[in-house]
Amino acid sequence: MKRREFLQAVSRIGGWAVSARLLAYYPPIRLSAYPSLLIPMDDAQSDHLKAYGVTYRVVQAGIKAEWLLNYRGGSFLVPDGPAIRRDATLAGVGFEAVDDGQVAGIRGEIEANNMDAVPLEKAPKVAVYVPPNAPPWDDAVTMALQYAGIPFEKVWDFEVVAGKLPTYDWLHLHHEDFTGQYSKFYLIYAGAPWLAEMVRFNGDAARRLGFETVPDLKKAVARKIRDFVENGGFLFAMCTATETIDLALAAERVDIAAAFADGTPMDPQADRKLDWTRALAFTGAHVEPNPQIASFSDIDGHQVNAGPRRQPLGAFKLFNFSAKIDPVPTMLVQSHRQVIPDFYGLTTSFVRDRLKPSDLVLADEEGAPWVKYIHGDHGKGTWTFFGGHDPEDQQHQIGDPPTDLSLHPHSPGYRLILNNVLFPAAKKRELKT
Amino acid sequence: MRPHRGECVVAPARDSRPEGWARRIVALKGNALQGSAGPSPGFSLGITGLALSLLLPLRSLPAQAIGQGVELERAGQYDRAASLYFATLRADPTNLAALLGLERVLPPLNRLEELLPVARRAAAAGPQRAALRGVLLRTYVALSETDSARSVALAWAADAPRDEAPYRDWAIALEDYHHHDAAREVLLLGRRAVGRPAAFAIELAELDQRTGDWESAAREWAAAVTESPAQLPNAAGDLSEAPEVQRERVTRVLTSGDPPAVTRRLAGELLLGWGQPQRAWDVFAPSVATPSADAAYALRRFADLAAASNTPAARRVGALALARFAEMVPEPLAVRARADAARAFLEAGDRAAARDVLERVARDSAAPADAQALAQSAVIEALIDGGQLDEAGRRLDAEGRLTAEGRAALRLRLAEAWVRRGDLDRAAQALARDSSVDALAQRGWIALYRGRVQEAQQLFKAAGPYAGHRRDATERSAMLALLQQIPTATFPELGAALLTLARGDSVPAVAALRLAAVHLETGGSGGGRPDILLVAGRVAARLGPDERRVALALFAEVVRTGGSGAAAPAAELEWARLLERDQRTAEAIQHLEHLILSYPGSAVVPEARRELERAKGAIPKS
Repeated sequence: MKRREFLQAVSRIGGWAVSARLLAYYPPIRLSAYPSLLIPMDDAQSDHLKAYGVTYRVVQAGIKAEWLLNYRGGSFLVPDGPAIRRDATLAGVGFEAVDDGQVAGIRGEIEANNMDAVPLEKAPKVAVYVPPNAPPWDDAVTMALQYAGIPFEKVWDFEVVAGKLPTYDWLHLHHEDFTGQYSKFYLIYAGAPWLAEMVRFNGDAARRLGFETVPDLKKAVARKIRDFVENGGFLFAMCTATETIDLALAAERVDIAAAFADGTPMDPQADRKLDWTRALAFTGAHVEPNPQIASFSDIDGHQVNAGPRRQPLGAFKLFNFSAKIDPVPTMLVQSHRQVIPDFYGLTTSFVRDRLKPSDLVLADEEGAPWVKYIHGDHGKGTWTFFGGHDPEDQQHQIGDPPTDLSLHPHSPGYRLILNNVLFPAAKKRELKT
Repeated sequence: MRPHRGECVVAPARDSRPEGWARRIVALKGNALQGSAGPSPGFSLGITGLALSLLLPLRSLPAQAIGQGVELERAGQYDRAASLYFATLRADPTNLAALLGLERVLPPLNRLEELLPVARRAAAAGPQRAALRGVLLRTYVALSETDSARSVALAWAADAPRDEAPYRDWAIALEDYHHHDAAREVLLLGRRAVGRPAAFAIELAELDQRTGDWESAAREWAAAVTESPAQLPNAAGDLSEAPEVQRERVTRVLTSGDPPAVTRRLAGELLLGWGQPQRAWDVFAPSVATPSADAAYALRRFADLAAASNTPAARRVGALALARFAEMVPEPLAVRARADAARAFLEAGDRAAARDVLERVARDSAAPADAQALAQSAVIEALIDGGQLDEAGRRLDAEGRLTAEGRAALRLRLAEAWVRRGDLDRAAQALARDSSVDALAQRGWIALYRGRVQEAQQLFKAAGPYAGHRRDATERSAMLALLQQIPTATFPELGAALLTLARGDSVPAVAALRLAAVHLETGGSGGGRPDILLVAGRVAARLGPDERRVALALFAEVVRTGGSGAAAPAAELEWARLLERDQRTAEAIQHLEHLILSYPGSAVVPEARRELERAKGAIPKS
């Protein structure tokens, strides 16, 4: 796609059509004499989150962009042009026009330091796994994508079981409970209309898809998602989805669901029978046997809903990788802040002892027995797990209003989410680690 | 605290446990001191001290162990904490703190069954100690050993026939495990056993609410408040959460027949909270017909609740309650209540009732000066609001009991009323002796309505930013910005148009503003024209569909002809907002984008960007 077609491409995103009437009516915008625009991602940036959207749309329009890892907070370099300037201006994203000499200077600085320039060549097709009926909480990734203006499609059990996942590049999971126990809210929120609706909806889906129980359906969905990764997909999961997808995979032939979910009590020997070779990230975990405690296992370090086991929040620190040797983890930790306040989720963190040796830790809380942000390969694809529910709402509770990201345009936690969206756009290179 | 994302209400410790624990520790220390005090007061301090030094370490050992156990719990080392508590119980089988500790740490370890033998031993060793029996009872319930739980509870009840604790502990334990029906049976059994019809009414009411049986909850709360009127706020608080479809049923339960006074009050408060103030008063009033201290208290509470509601009907019943309250309390309180009642009547629009109350205060020579001033002030306000401006002016001049601040506020109010009537001379006269910044600001408006643009600017500047509320100051600043562009010292057409607007005639005001703009365009240099059209557009945008079309045309004209001034982007923002309000989102988006791109330096760009995000659904609607 050529640059002049970019306007049309942009207009397709979220109905941002620019009518011919309006363009004819108003004076045209001045053309630039500069060859490139630098979108800085350090403290000079006026909207870090929307900068990802602008870059995504450039790549989506078939125009080459570059991600300047570790350069001014992980900046983007895109070609100059009225449509891109227009898009950035509308989004309130700061940019700097740079000439060839300045670009050469930037490249020199990148060469001489722990930095790298990664070409972004293909905008990933994004799917978000979310039930069709809105749950009484919000999903940080959906909010980030909507705010940044990155298009995505919603999929759920019907689409996954029907084999639609291979049509996407990137899949996000959030607050889902793949053990099929409705986040173990069944007893605690007994009588709540939203829970009744969730139970009815999931039960109906299981019946329609030919599964005896909801846990059986969710295990099948988990396996489909693992196949998606194995065949080259990018998986990004947050909150409960991280822990429960691995529990569901490891428990393929074991009943780990309480009686309220499938009519039979959990297998008392479940821990012993779990097969962790089938899981993506974790190993050796113990399943929470008490159906009244909204905790799934000892994978989560913070145990927010497990009474006296609950741990206080600290702050997590992003690791500093070698940009030239390890571009993938470097991309995933691009941020203008290295230390970020922690935030709760039903799964907040991952206990170090439960990680597989092959896992790559991207961020942890120094001195704590848990880590926050991990990444790994499976087959031809990769997965990234980020603990917690909403980076800008540390104690988010059911019924709270959704986070308004226009009040947090510089959120370093949300940046990590958007790093993941853009990372599949990077041209593949042989990984060193 | 609300549960976090379905935060589990695991409830490892009941409310009573820490207290019991604390009591146990105090008891241990108390025993030590008693033991060391010795039989004879003649013992020397040295001997007492020696005895203390020998006894205290021995006695404090269990307490130390419990302290260590708690620390281990905090560190998440439940296994070690459990071992310590078990060790403590081996030495002291009735150590309540250790038992409670085990009750906390064993469930997360999935070892609750280990609590049973030690709880049994403790209850057997201390059969008179209710707390130990409570632990055993809860353990049986937690382990679903229903028959054993029943026999422990019934044995406990047999030993203490009038005691409600066995049934209450039993029911709460069952409720904790969501056995609502079983908990209800236990409470009803307890009610029959203790022989008091209102026994466990609160527990049953809360249980009914949980299971959605609001009618039954209302019946139980009615019984509870009849037995203990102090429970009225709790009853009202809990029942107020009844879903809308259940409210009529709840009301019927509380008002059928001839309910006791306290039940009427409960029904009245609920109806008030549910937005039915007149019906609330009708139900409530008979309960305060006879003067008494509790009737006065109930009236005050009713009036306060009514004041929290912002509807005229609620204000009116609040005023009725205050007027009735004034008849039941001594004079200083009564005068103030009457003044408050009058204000509430005024706010409700019932001027006749307000004047009746106020005249009574104003005539009362025994009333305190501040109450009289308050009443006089309220009488004058009532006159102004009732349109009796001459009478209000006369009273304002003659009344010597008003404070200087109160008098100034009334003058401003009177001047505004004269402006609304269109009599600018009388408005100016009302402010003649006032040199406050508020009066300067008002004089500025009067000058503007007379078309004296330059004088209005000077007065607005002199008034500064502190006259009136923040909104008034913002409005003056915006008008000042407009006036500064008018090339002439006078502009009668603009003044007349703005006066029409101030008098509330919005549609003619829009037409007058448009005419004024035309006049400026033809007669002057054109400065300020887009700004005047923007004002006209903003007024029109708040009116009906026909005027909204006029607003759209006006905004379009300002954008087209506004050049690089501030009016053009502001008009485009208003244009987009109006389109968005009419569900024409795509067009609104076009205008917002045009605004952001065309006027990057405009002060309204941040607002426009936020509107754009909202229109695109990028941020939640707020």
